[in-house]
Amino acid sequence: MDQLAVSVTSIGLSHFLVLGVIMLGIGVVGVFLRRNVLITLMSIELMLNAGNLTLLAFARAQHDMRGQALAFLVIAVAAAEAAIGLAIVVGVFRNRRNTDLDDLNLLRY
Amino acid sequence: MIGQLLSSSTAALGSVLGLLAQVPTGQVQQVPADSLHPSWCPAWAFWILSGLTIAGALVTITRRNLIGAVMALVATFFGLAGIYAMLSAHFLAAIQILVYAGAIMVLFVFVIMVLNREEEDPWALRSPFAKALGTGALVYLLVRLGEVIIGGNPPPMARGGNPPTDFGSVAAMGDYFFTKFLFPFEAVSILLVIAVIGAVVLARTSVKPTSVHDLPYADQPHGPQKTISATEAEAESPAAHGGH
Repeated sequence: MDQLAVSVTSIGLSHFLVLGVIMLGIGVVGVFLRRNVLITLMSIELMLNAGNLTLLAFARAQHDMRGQALAFLVIAVAAAEAAIGLAIVVGVFRNRRNTDLDDLNLLRY
Repeated sequence: MIGQLLSSSTAALGSVLGLLAQVPTGQVQQVPADSLHPSWCPAWAFWILSGLTIAGALVTITRRNLIGAVMALVATFFGLAGIYAMLSAHFLAAIQILVYAGAIMVLFVFVIMVLNREEEDPWALRSPFAKALGTGALVYLLVRLGEVIIGGNPPPMARGGNPPTDFGSVAAMGDYFFTKFLFPFEAVSILLVIAVIGAVVLARTSVKPTSVHDLPYADQPHGPQKTISATEAEAESPAAHGGH
């Protein structure tokens, strides 16, 4: 176990980065495999949080507050994205009566 | 299921508050040079919080019931807030709970309740192209993850040691935002205003006037210096108000 970068008792930068990668992977899987647009939006939130976690881990590792400031801005942008995205979902549902991503192909052809 | 998730969320909240309450300890012991967790936070807290985070994320993308998915997402956000507190980002941990577990969760729950639809066929399948793309992206991420875990050399960027005492505090964040990050701060405020207005415009129902009394006052038959018949109003209203 000693040549693993991920040790159990001493939590280093790698731990947080690996957690960020795992969360990003779960978000990617959610976006690509689920059809419901609300689940897709939640997966996007997961991916944004993974990016935030990486920013904060590097900020802590470098003793640099700029990463935290950037993460704060990411949170604000994520809130705006959620508001707009959910408004679009409501508008689409009002017109099309469903929220399946595969059925929203009006702009495709 | 939801009760279970709620209880896990409250447990996470308890742990986060416990972490936050323990911050101002007087004595600071030496931590190993390559470890990032502060001395007041034991290493097992990371495993518990990361387990909560990953489990919540997995439940989020596999759940058929959308409310259950949102509750699992909230558990994820609580776990992440605890991890942010581990990383000496106390202010962002509080903001994470306020914005994500508060505002965004309420927004999601509200939209789910408004739409009120169950997903018929949860896992099925988007186009083969999307499946291939998702699988490829996942495989790439896993390969890079394996490289990090098995490769054995930790990232060289860590400085180690304890950060300054005001690292991540509200005062330090405010100092940054009103000096170096003033322009992004103002830009984000404009972005939020645009988002609010855009959400209202997108989600508003356009009201189609059904009688002349629903028209603006100047267009009504008894309005100032204007006579218009009811049939004219009917004919004119869809074009004038952007019919639905």
